[in-house]
Amino acid sequence: MMTTEKNNTKSAANWPTLLGDNARTGGHAQVRFQSPANAVWQYRTASPVRSAPVFHDGVLYVASVNGVLHAINPATGTSKWKFEAAGQVHSTPSLLGNAVLFGCDDGKVYAIDRNSGKKLWEADSQAEVWSSPVVRNENVFFGSADGKAYAVDGRTGQTKWSQELGGRIYSTIYAEEHQLYVGCGDGKVYSFDAASGKILWSTATGNGIDSSPAVVDNLVLIGSEDFFVYALDASNGAVRWKYETGLGIASSPAVLGDFAVIGSKDGSLYAFEVQTGKLRWKTVVSEVVTAPPVIGGGVVCIQAGGTFALDMDSGKIVWRAGLGGAIQSVPVLVADSIYLASLSGEIYALQ
Amino acid sequence: MDRRTFVKVGCIGSASVVVQGLDPMVRAEAVAPVLPPIDLHDLPDYKSSPLGMPGLFPGRVIEARDRNAIVSNRVSQPIVRRLLEQAMKELTGESSTRDAWAKFIAPTDVVGIKINPSGAPACCSSPEIIREIIAAVQSLGVPARNIIVYDRYSYEIDIGSYQALLPTGVRIVGIQDAFSGGGVGYEPTVYCDANFFGEWETRSYMASIVAHEVTKIINVPTMKDHSAAGITGALKNLAYGTFNNVARTHRAPHSFTNPVIGLMCTVEPLRSKAVLHVMDGMRQVWHGGPLTQVQNFIDQTGILLVATDPVAMDTIELETIEKKRRERGVPSLWQHDLESVTPDSRIFFHDASKNLFFRQPGHVTAAGKLGLGISDLKRIDHRLLSS
Repeated sequence: MMTTEKNNTKSAANWPTLLGDNARTGGHAQVRFQSPANAVWQYRTASPVRSAPVFHDGVLYVASVNGVLHAINPATGTSKWKFEAAGQVHSTPSLLGNAVLFGCDDGKVYAIDRNSGKKLWEADSQAEVWSSPVVRNENVFFGSADGKAYAVDGRTGQTKWSQELGGRIYSTIYAEEHQLYVGCGDGKVYSFDAASGKILWSTATGNGIDSSPAVVDNLVLIGSEDFFVYALDASNGAVRWKYETGLGIASSPAVLGDFAVIGSKDGSLYAFEVQTGKLRWKTVVSEVVTAPPVIGGGVVCIQAGGTFALDMDSGKIVWRAGLGGAIQSVPVLVADSIYLASLSGEIYALQ
Repeated sequence: MDRRTFVKVGCIGSASVVVQGLDPMVRAEAVAPVLPPIDLHDLPDYKSSPLGMPGLFPGRVIEARDRNAIVSNRVSQPIVRRLLEQAMKELTGESSTRDAWAKFIAPTDVVGIKINPSGAPACCSSPEIIREIIAAVQSLGVPARNIIVYDRYSYEIDIGSYQALLPTGVRIVGIQDAFSGGGVGYEPTVYCDANFFGEWETRSYMASIVAHEVTKIINVPTMKDHSAAGITGALKNLAYGTFNNVARTHRAPHSFTNPVIGLMCTVEPLRSKAVLHVMDGMRQVWHGGPLTQVQNFIDQTGILLVATDPVAMDTIELETIEKKRRERGVPSLWQHDLESVTPDSRIFFHDASKNLFFRQPGHVTAAGKLGLGISDLKRIDHRLLSS
């Protein structure tokens, strides 16, 4: 029997979707500020990993590019089960009750039983699904490269509605109670009604978007390939502020209170005051940043070639690890452990 | 003629050119190791096309430029559209853009667009140019599903965000992941076989997508220097983006990119299918290529080159980058000097007087000797279109 994510908060022991929870706060206060001392285990997926792990009820879930969803015991680093999809996977999994959800290059979103590793249902689109499925009120929302946003029944996978936008969708939808937000390859940020899919507003940026939005205090934060970070009024899409970085933005914002941080392909992380857009700090961490950062325990973590932790107040790099050599994954911070996926296909547990 | 014998003759010829003629600064210790025999295996029974390299207009290179085509690293979609339309009409002599494209592409074609994302995000094939090429191909009646934008490494395509930026329906394919096995996605009967430095795998296979799926290729290289090949242009984008296991042709400070780049371009069906080359010179990398992210070595010039002859195109590119390096007071791409070679890539990436290899820009002339085009500047019909 499936249960439903009832709200935007998460329990302290879970990390059920991209950037931790649907609010994209992406962090746990318990995470250690210090550099991890030990690599506890290493798990080989035998394929690159270009999505982020998630954690729920004592199990780590990782999708590798070769189409395999891995359920891993975080204590031992051993496999609990594997499920093989029909295509490559670039989508970060999400949790819905006892189901693990992920998108696939075969155009489907799969729901897999968390205990058995067996398929519960699948939902169809017409092109690859790289975005992460998002859960809200028993519904699953996702965007597809076919240019449509979909809402499907979380119990059956049956399509409730689909809405055609103007370009490919690689951005992960942000779901509020009644309203959804997403970026699109046509350069627009869209908001639509969660029940019907009707477009409520759209705001054009100067180039395509594959960044995923976060919504805080009625502001939609998102990056664009036009080099700008945008803060849009969630009610009507009006631009409240925007900030120019040095190159395009594929990274997504992580937010905590009035603090937001996002990466740019210019290799820097940018931290802002959410309400004003005032830059708090900018720090060069690598040649390129495309992954979303996460916030936890006073630090901002980012995978950008290696793994970096920056002091949240100053932006100063406080530790770095050579492990996690990927620029598309996101570290998972749970209690005193950090879980990293790498482009070369290794999963690491650090303490 | 036996393909292997032919290749050996070609290689000896090109190697002697490097040593005797084009490379006066070479020192005794810089002489390259002996070139091994190279076997080339075409797709069996493949019938060559008259559109194949050097194509319909040997020696003709159209250069369209507009300084406003790129401003603050942003490429202008409408200016790129105009430049490409002008260049295509000038190349073909047609009065309409549609007729110009129809010289190369038929509605029944499956069109591969070979991008170069390897320097993304700082310098890669601009999505704005790719969008215009896709629009032009679609205007001829080619459905989106029959257009395949591809390159060798999928993770480099991701960094360029091509997936999000290109129209729906178009397929975007990375032939392999950087860390996965190189055999998947490659045709086992079409290959280049040579043992350069004692490597255990001596074959480089052609991508299946080139061997079997696409019927035409539009090549979209960037304008960059290359630490081993001297430049990376139309020839190298095709050769080293189509065959796997190519890094083995370099072992610092030596490189066999000359003549391997040209040889690979002669292998069918690559030679026949590559019918048009659109060089993205919005940005010019004059040091640190192909991967540099150092903006100090990247000029924003707003240039677009169009040709069917990759050798003529690369000859113009080579001249352009050489001129730029002279202006900046850094060594010629032709210089072979052990003191300018460093094994430390961090030094190379930030010091334009240093390099990782003895560069091999002679690969362009060698490709001309293989019949792929014209490398003699006096015989190249280089037409400038300025705004």
